[in-house]
Amino acid sequence: MDKIESAAESRKLLNKITFDLTRSIVKKDELTRFWFFILIMFAGVGLWGWTIQFSTGLGVTGMRDYVSWGMYIANFVFFVAVSLIGFLISSALHLLKINWAKPVSRVAEQVAIAAVALAGVIIIMDMGRPDRFLNIFLHGRFASPIIWDVTVITTYLVISLLLFYIPLIPDLALMRDRMGKELPKWQIKLYTVLALGWKGKAEQYKIIYHTLRILMLLIIPVGLSIHTVTSWLFAATLRPGWDTSILGPYFVAGAFVAGTAAVIVVMYIYRLRYNLKDYFQDLHFNYMGKLLVFVCLVYLYFNINEYLVPGYKMKLADGIHLTELFKGNHSGMFWIVQLTGLLLPIVLLLFPYFRKPLPIAIISLIVMISAWFKRYLIVIPTLEHPFLPVQNVPVNFQNYSPTSTEIMITIFSFVAAFLIISVLAKLFPVIAIWEYAEDQGIDKKYLTENLKN
Amino acid sequence: MNRKISFLTIVTLFLSVQANAQDWPVPADQNNRVNPQEYNLANVNKGKDLYLKNCKSCHGDPGKNNALPLVPPPVDVTSDKMQKNTEGGLYYKITNGRGAMPQFKTTISDDDRWKIVNYISNFSPKKQPLLVDAPPVKAKLLASVNERERKVEVFAESENNGIFTKLPNTPITVSTKKAFGNIEMGKVLTDENGRAEFVIPETVIGDEQGNVNIVVSLDDNYIADIVTLDKAKVGQLKPTPKLIQKGILWSTNENIQIWLLFSYIAAAGGAWLTIGYIVFQIAKIKRLSKE
Repeated sequence: MDKIESAAESRKLLNKITFDLTRSIVKKDELTRFWFFILIMFAGVGLWGWTIQFSTGLGVTGMRDYVSWGMYIANFVFFVAVSLIGFLISSALHLLKINWAKPVSRVAEQVAIAAVALAGVIIIMDMGRPDRFLNIFLHGRFASPIIWDVTVITTYLVISLLLFYIPLIPDLALMRDRMGKELPKWQIKLYTVLALGWKGKAEQYKIIYHTLRILMLLIIPVGLSIHTVTSWLFAATLRPGWDTSILGPYFVAGAFVAGTAAVIVVMYIYRLRYNLKDYFQDLHFNYMGKLLVFVCLVYLYFNINEYLVPGYKMKLADGIHLTELFKGNHSGMFWIVQLTGLLLPIVLLLFPYFRKPLPIAIISLIVMISAWFKRYLIVIPTLEHPFLPVQNVPVNFQNYSPTSTEIMITIFSFVAAFLIISVLAKLFPVIAIWEYAEDQGIDKKYLTENLKN
Repeated sequence: MNRKISFLTIVTLFLSVQANAQDWPVPADQNNRVNPQEYNLANVNKGKDLYLKNCKSCHGDPGKNNALPLVPPPVDVTSDKMQKNTEGGLYYKITNGRGAMPQFKTTISDDDRWKIVNYISNFSPKKQPLLVDAPPVKAKLLASVNERERKVEVFAESENNGIFTKLPNTPITVSTKKAFGNIEMGKVLTDENGRAEFVIPETVIGDEQGNVNIVVSLDDNYIADIVTLDKAKVGQLKPTPKLIQKGILWSTNENIQIWLLFSYIAAAGGAWLTIGYIVFQIAKIKRLSKE
């Protein structure tokens, strides 16, 4: 956009943008408190479930000798998948100079941080003896995919935090300078510390652009690894359904679907809740919808490949696995997931009407839920059919069904993710103010004007 | 159509030629060779074992004419056609093979091939058969282990209405008892007093203490209780595998493949060095603010 020459006009527009984008931080009403109350309450229930599991042991879960990876690991894969959206939107689209994605990138990073942080927590909650987690660092073997996964998740979390933090610095300085009256002292103090005494010098901006560019390049291999390595946890085994060389890209493609849907849902909530119609415009939902169709098509391609090739050959173990999925115990879930998680968004989102904010948000929510069950279908059916016959064991060893404790702890992970996103939204603007203002043609010098209000 | 017919004709001709190839010429010098292996029970028995392992699958059970339906058909051992061969001729044919009959030059030793010839001769009308299908005889075995000299000492008797007679020249099988059955260590023949001594090979592996459970038995021609000698300290110590064994891909860091370690360190190190650089840049932002 053209530069706005007039100082008064610039200041006026900047004030409006700042007011709009900090509404989420300033706004404090009953609904906010209620939302946090609900989240904290459910998180508390989940933690209580975890203490039960911790004191009683993993016997409280539905996991037994054969299905030793249950809902937790499926949930873990889902969260890792969702976190990958940070890589797609804030790096890939940026590097491709796709401008409409700019306001979305902070939402994507919020989702990424919350998801990847919870992915780590879920793994610890999956352990019967979480105190032994340290053993990974003390006695870990570099040849084990588990070590790679721990490494890459930690790395991705740090990079996501940096990608969230670095573009935030000018905004922090802006809020430090302008919001003194509206916000409590501790919050301003937090901004002051985090803003690093930002003065808006040209060299400082140069460092920000420089570091962001490096991070965007760095997150490409790390982001691809995070989900590829997670897929290797499965693909490095010989089990039917997992033992395929396509599993890495298959997971990555599925991750883009889940992540894009998650970002659309969060965007819609922000738009509605913080009255950001002018910022998350119909145009953004329209493009995000097209993006979702695109990644869904890629995922559909991998799905066809993943089921057609073994289905054509029907090797003994693969055949049992596929029969189980297509018309066995899991067939109901399987076909619903394929329909609602893949075909439905592809078909519906081709129509402009469904790419409007509300319809697309609903579709995205359905896609997300399907994506979760898809992970469940990746993990559990394979484990129920080991190569050697399951015999002379109790019935609950043969088939897996999650227990209430397990469901409680899984709900905790969702609630905790919402909590992280909510806290981030309550503390920091959901769109980069300085970037947005600059796009509107406001000169950077107005951002750091020392306002005496 | 014409081509098909001519093809079929050729195939039929070929098959009939194969089937009619009755004579299998043996060079004269080979034909007249004398069997260096003595025609005795031990050799015939050994030949029988080898026949069962190597020949029976095609030639079938002697006298039952149940050979595989091949072209040309494998000949039954008791048949005239087989027995018309000289011993040297049989040896030559076993050694070199022809068509579907494989050569055994490389898989069975010279002596053993001659023993197979001995076994075939057992069914020859010119020879006294050594393998007779007599009803099994009641017998009794006594055995003990001499741990110092690493020997199993055996005494065999046959029983006939309470009268015991020594069993001379009888094969005794000495095995070790393992978790899933017995492994034969060897066979030994009794002497004229019904006694035999079997020297235990050095290579026998025992349990963790080197104890071996030895089983002494007679063959199917006798009904006798098997003698089990428990815990004879004559074997080598059983090697105890450690739970985490070196040399297995996923087990220890010391044995990790270099390329794997290198890739891991390069990838993780590269990422974290870059992150370090970014943190350093953030510190630079702070420093710039103070100027």
